Amino acid sequence: MSRPVRNVVIVGRDAAAWLTALGLKRAFGRQGVNVTVLELPSMVRSADVLVGLPTLEGLHRLLGLDTDDMLAATAGAYALGQQFANWSQARPPFVHAYDTHGAPIHRIDFLQHWLKARSEGMNVPLEEFSLGAAAAKHGRFVVHGDATSGFSKARAGYHLDASAYIRLVRQKAIELGVQRQAGKLGEVVRSDSGIVSVSLAGGEPLAADLFVDASGVDAVLIGKVLEQPLESWSPWFGCDRVLVTSGPKLNPLPAMSRISGFKAGWIGMFPLRDRTPVVAAYDSRRISDAEMLQSASVLCGMRLGDAFVAPCEPGMRSAPWTGNCVAIGEAAVVLEPLDAASLHMIHVGLSHLITLFPVSAEAMLEAEPFNTSMQNHARNLRDFQIVHYRLNGRLDEPFWDRARETPPPPELAAKLDLFAARGAVALYDDETFQEENWASVLIGHGLIPRGYDPQVDTLAPDELIAAFQRMLGFIASTVRDMPSVEAQLELFAPLPSNASF
Amino acid sequence: MPAPLKVVIVGGGTSGWMSAAALVAGLPPGLCEVRLVESDEIGIVGVGEATLPQIKDFNDHIGVDEADFMRQTQATFKLGIEFVDWGFKGSSYIHPFGVHGKPLGGVPFYQYWAKARLNGRVDDLGDYSLPIVASRQNRFAFPSTDEDGLSSNFAYAYHFDAHLYARFLRGFAEARGLRRTEGRIVDVTLKPEDGHIASIRLESGEVIAGDLFIDCSGFRSMLMGQALGVGYEDWTPWLPCDRAYAVPCERAGALTPYTRSTAREAGWQWRIPLQHRTGNGYVYSSRFISDDEAAATLLANLDGKALDDPRPLRFQAGRRETSWSRNCIAIGLASGFLEPLESTSIYLIQVAITNLLKLLPGRAIDPALVSEFNRLIDVEYGRVRDFLILHYHLNGRDDAPLWRYCREMPVPDSLKSRMALFEHRGHIAKYKDGLFQPPSWLAVFVGQGLLPAGYDPLVDNVLQEHILRELDQFRADVAQTVEEMRDHGGFVADFCAAPANRPLSSRVAS
Repeated sequence: MSRPVRNVVIVGRDAAAWLTALGLKRAFGRQGVNVTVLELPSMVRSADVLVGLPTLEGLHRLLGLDTDDMLAATAGAYALGQQFANWSQARPPFVHAYDTHGAPIHRIDFLQHWLKARSEGMNVPLEEFSLGAAAAKHGRFVVHGDATSGFSKARAGYHLDASAYIRLVRQKAIELGVQRQAGKLGEVVRSDSGIVSVSLAGGEPLAADLFVDASGVDAVLIGKVLEQPLESWSPWFGCDRVLVTSGPKLNPLPAMSRISGFKAGWIGMFPLRDRTPVVAAYDSRRISDAEMLQSASVLCGMRLGDAFVAPCEPGMRSAPWTGNCVAIGEAAVVLEPLDAASLHMIHVGLSHLITLFPVSAEAMLEAEPFNTSMQNHARNLRDFQIVHYRLNGRLDEPFWDRARETPPPPELAAKLDLFAARGAVALYDDETFQEENWASVLIGHGLIPRGYDPQVDTLAPDELIAAFQRMLGFIASTVRDMPSVEAQLELFAPLPSNASF
Repeated sequence: MPAPLKVVIVGGGTSGWMSAAALVAGLPPGLCEVRLVESDEIGIVGVGEATLPQIKDFNDHIGVDEADFMRQTQATFKLGIEFVDWGFKGSSYIHPFGVHGKPLGGVPFYQYWAKARLNGRVDDLGDYSLPIVASRQNRFAFPSTDEDGLSSNFAYAYHFDAHLYARFLRGFAEARGLRRTEGRIVDVTLKPEDGHIASIRLESGEVIAGDLFIDCSGFRSMLMGQALGVGYEDWTPWLPCDRAYAVPCERAGALTPYTRSTAREAGWQWRIPLQHRTGNGYVYSSRFISDDEAAATLLANLDGKALDDPRPLRFQAGRRETSWSRNCIAIGLASGFLEPLESTSIYLIQVAITNLLKLLPGRAIDPALVSEFNRLIDVEYGRVRDFLILHYHLNGRDDAPLWRYCREMPVPDSLKSRMALFEHRGHIAKYKDGLFQPPSWLAVFVGQGLLPAGYDPLVDNVLQEHILRELDQFRADVAQTVEEMRDHGGFVADFCAAPANRPLSSRVAS
């Protein structure tokens, strides 16, 4: 066998750098792989929040982290889904819960029955049939039992204070033996096959078999040195700025994120247990940073603290693994801070890097399947985000009119066509979100299919009505007995100050 | 409820009757009014007598009783396919319906095996597969329902007589209201406004109109190919076999629970064990052997006496450019042909039917349904194609020009990179849709001599002694579990003996 990979140098910062360091050290440290982080100055601001999907729990398992500990240390909170409000003038808000809707009737998907009932005048929204959505709206946490597990797949996602989370991950990584040098990037020496060494300003050059670029949008290795271009996805989005700030804690603690459209973008609240991070994405050609800050307070209905603004250009590098350098996080792919995309893309990159950790320092054939899979994941998630824009119903507002009129990428166009025809979801390789998530968002944004599975027509209307009523009754009584998210957190992940007595 | 959708199936045979059975039994009554038109004059191909485990889902879904169906089709069980002389002369391996070993620390078992091998351990990967070891000893048992146990870790399929299966499904479908019409089709009328098929006319003069037409007319593809003019994509540069002879012979020896495929100079020979006879065929490339020589080779390599003259078949590997066009869906040979090397013919029929039921249109056909159907079918054909090409391409035989040609022919990039990654580190990428998951690729790679030069580095987290202990333990568990399985012949005799094959004592008793 050829020379194995023994030394890994991660150049970067914040969540991408430290999660990768911890993940690689934990997976390969025992066999003598050295991991060093060249830590560049942090770009995390005091107001920042990390948003996790329910699958974050899987990443934590991989990293040996206890999700309850993480919640406790970051004043973290559960988010059973995301509410979208004001994405249309005419349509009411909806909840995209991390859950299914209803139960199949005679082996036919619930959505098909709902579509038929709706076409005949029933006006109960789809989300009323989702236990997760009901819990999210009532601030409750779903504790599964025999009765619920057959009906619902509800799981909680997470809101986490970014600084505290990264501090904890960094500490774990260093405890495990990850080396750290901090400073500004100095010289990078490259060769035909990738990178030879990197150094901090005024420091010694560090050689390695494998380099990870976790520097965020700076992409100091993959972009600046290896010159992999960023394929821009901006035309589908339209926002070019992100503002982050923070307001006081909400009482009672909501069980979901709240994302609200406004004339030049969207603004989201991601509640924690000690404060409420606020993130706004907007088009700076239509609203200035100062106006945005003023509006944010009005849009959220609360006093806001220090605000931070950064540019945002969604896009991806088509070869995030080039030579002996692998880009993880925003160095590889930039999406909007929506649908928990940022942290999820780090998760996907890291778990693929562990699965495809190169066996040879000389020939990294693993780059090809890694890049294919990352492209699939990123594009599918991008398409999920584009749906919010493409299907908006804010008429006669130039920002939104443009978003509505921009033709979607071809795979998304096919997906939208099929759903519009019959409420079926075409899933491609490497999808983050499943049928129920797509259905929830598509229906919520008003794409009501014009047809449904003709098999549904053979069912007697009385049977259908009775089944629907049973489900609604079940959800109502189940939600009543659930604990509030606050009580659940207090029990499993109490804040340090509360735990002291 | 709206008026039923009028569905006309053109052609009997396996695809026609599977479609018919699924439409009448897999959908709520009253939704479709299904007619099937077939001509007694036209024979059916029905070479697809060996199946994949998915067929059981199909039968279960439409409500077929397993023992009854097996009795009526002379069926036996199948745990995999044995490949003899593929890769190199003198070799033999089994592609099983199940995984090798069990994953350890989230890493596939064979990665540990690959490391042990590189460190000098000499053994056979097949020893870690229950269906392989059972096949070698001609044993069978149903998988258990205990999910963690070794004996739940495999699946099974059937060998059956495709003519009898079609007949069985015909009875099944007719009992549930299907209307069958005998007759030869002489004309197809298209609607002038949109080019959809309006009706077909039979020799008798009868005109049959419909909303949806299913073309199960086999190679002739009367509706899709002839009437609608949908073109055919040629895959013979990769899959050069274009003819076959098929012949049944008398049974001899133990009843094997697997199909056998033996590579020959200009193609390969199948052997399919049924209860009452053994099905055989030689699939060959007419570029590399004459018809007479092929027939003679087949007859010289039978278990027992030939029961008929060898029947010739001609085909062209490839597929229709689309499987659903306008109001016509091609299923089976009308939609494409891939040689039965991995028993995929009936699977491809099934997958078309399943997707049709899922995307069943109304009277007005939404084009989005058509696009999605074609996308899904594209994926299926493409995956099977690449997997078949692998069998031909990955060989070290120097004894015949066909094998040299296949070794040197350019193959699709996707296949090249799969082979390179397996050799590099035993990596096999998974995909969401389509046949042949990593355990299948593994069996063929290793069986045909492509062995990994590296392995997943996560394997090094487990102590070598522990790996060796796990390997020994698993191999012993497999051997022990197979010990407890029954002889396949005896199992079949007790569970599903066809009437004429039943032992005299039981015939008297019944």
